This record gives sequence, C-alpha cells and structure tokens, in this order.
Amino acid sequence: MNAQPDPFAGAPDEALLVAFANGDGQAARFLTTRLLPRVLAQATRMLGNPSEAEDVAQDAMMRLWKIAPEWRQGEAQISTWLYRVVANLCTDRLRKRRGAVSLDQVAEPLDGTPSVAAQMQTNARMAALSDALAQLPDRQAQAVALRHLEGLPNPEIAQIMDISVRSVESLTARGKRALADIMAGRKAELGYDDD
Amino acid sequence: MMMTDPNDKMLDDLFADARAFKVAPSDALMARVLADAEAAQPKSQSVQKARLGMWAQFMDVIGGWPAVSGLAAATVAGIWIGVAPPSSVEDITASFMGDEVSVDLFSSDFGFAAGDFVDG
Repeated sequence: MNAQPDPFAGAPDEALLVAFANGDGQAARFLTTRLLPRVLAQATRMLGNPSEAEDVAQDAMMRLWKIAPEWRQGEAQISTWLYRVVANLCTDRLRKRRGAVSLDQVAEPLDGTPSVAAQMQTNARMAALSDALAQLPDRQAQAVALRHLEGLPNPEIAQIMDISVRSVESLTARGKRALADIMAGRKAELGYDDD
Repeated sequence: MMMTDPNDKMLDDLFADARAFKVAPSDALMARVLADAEAAQPKSQSVQKARLGMWAQFMDVIGGWPAVSGLAAATVAGIWIGVAPPSSVEDITASFMGDEVSVDLFSSDFGFAAGDFVDG
C-alpha cells in the first residue's frame, strides 16, 4: 500500500506525532501505517466484528490526531495511550451489547483463515469470546483482553489501565474465571468437544 | 498432580486463536483515517506566514499597529518641521551650518596646479 520510503525510519512514534502537529504532510501517512494495524487488531479481537472494529480504529486514530498539538512529550508512550483508548472504546460498545447478544450480529467474514469452514469456526469463536467479554465488568474485560488477547505483560497493562500490577493480577484472574464459566456451555458449538 | 480444567484448556486455545488472528487495514479504512488526519491537522506556521501579504509581513516585523501609529506621528512631525520650522530649530541650524553654505568641488587654480605638475 505504501511504496514510498519512510523518511521517518528509526524515529519514534512521538517524533512523527510532533511532526504531524507542526503541519508535516507526510507524518500522518507514516504514523497511520505504523499504528493502525495494531489498533485495528486489538479492536477486532475484543469486538469480534470487523465493521465495528474499523469504526473503533478510526475513532481511536481521530482522537490521536486531535490530541497531537497538546501531546506532552515523555509523559506517556503513544502505544500505551492507544491501547487505553481502544480498550475504552471497545468496552463502551461491549456494554451496549450486554444483554442483547446475538451471534447473527457477527456474520461478516474475517480474513486470514484458509478455508470457508475454518473461517466460519474462527468467526464463531471470536464472536463468542467477544460476547463473553461483554458479560464481564468493564475493567475485568479490559484486563483480560490486554493480558490474554494482546499478550501484554502485567506491568504494561498496569500502565495502560493506570492501576497497580497487583490489581491487574486480580482483575485478570477473576475475569478469566468468569469467562471460563460463561464459555463452558458453548464448547460443543465452538468445536471444542473433542478434547 | 493437578488436573487442567477443561474449560481453562478451551479458554487458553481460544485466546491463542485470537492472538494468532491477523487483520490488515483495508485501503478504505486507511483512506478514512488519512482524511480525518488531514482535516484535524494544524496548519504549519511557515505555511501561514507564507500566506501573509507584504503589508501583514511588514506589520509583523515592526510590531503591529502601535508601532505604525508611532511611525505616522514621527513622519507628520518631520514634514511639519520641514515646512514651517520653529524659530528654535532655525537658530540651531544657523549655528551649525552658517547662514549660507557654498561648496566648491574643484579649486579654481586646479588647472594651473595640474599644469605645473605636467611641466615638472
């Protein structure tokens, strides 16, 4: 998609954001190329729905563009800030979904699976996981998603959520337990009945 | 030895599937995000200055309207002193320059002196 050489190669994300805030016309393109894939992936894993995930990703990037002129250098990393924004935007949507969950909402195909059957199963599993996350309290859902869907270490999650590492451990433990209980009834449906 | 809870096993598999899931932004999403960026981007100071006219640049250099009013007052005062000099100014001018000043660029005996030089 982006054939141009990156004039910001090696520069930290923060430097690109400053360049963007100073009116550099290229900074947004290269910053988007760097950040959007991870933002979209996080939103997709939490929401299990491609179009909702795209809306969240666009919204999160919009917030980044708007905060750029006031970005306080050295105070937070852009990646940490984005993880927090995406997690919050996703839990907002999960909260609205709570109590009115339907697998029919997740009918769009997701990319990256080798066959139609596998794709459908991946769709169903991602949707089920997202629906189960929607049943959890917001902070538990965020901690579980950051720990187990993004694979982040607890200290980084603590920074993102602005809580202690001990609180992260507690939230992820309780969240995972609750998630296991919610998912227990859907094993066969999701193809996990053969173990 | 502890038995692994089958539900935990399912959940761990599910998490692994989710982590392995790859998604790439579509061109359409990329375009939407870049359009947002363009709309939200602050205009650079150099671009704004380049768009200023010559008068605005002049104002910027001298320090704005207060400086312009000072310049205007000084100009009017200078013209007025030239047209109708007060007596005190006339006296000062006379004391420095004399009542009449004449300047000869070439001395009247320059030709003779030059001739003397040529003849040796």
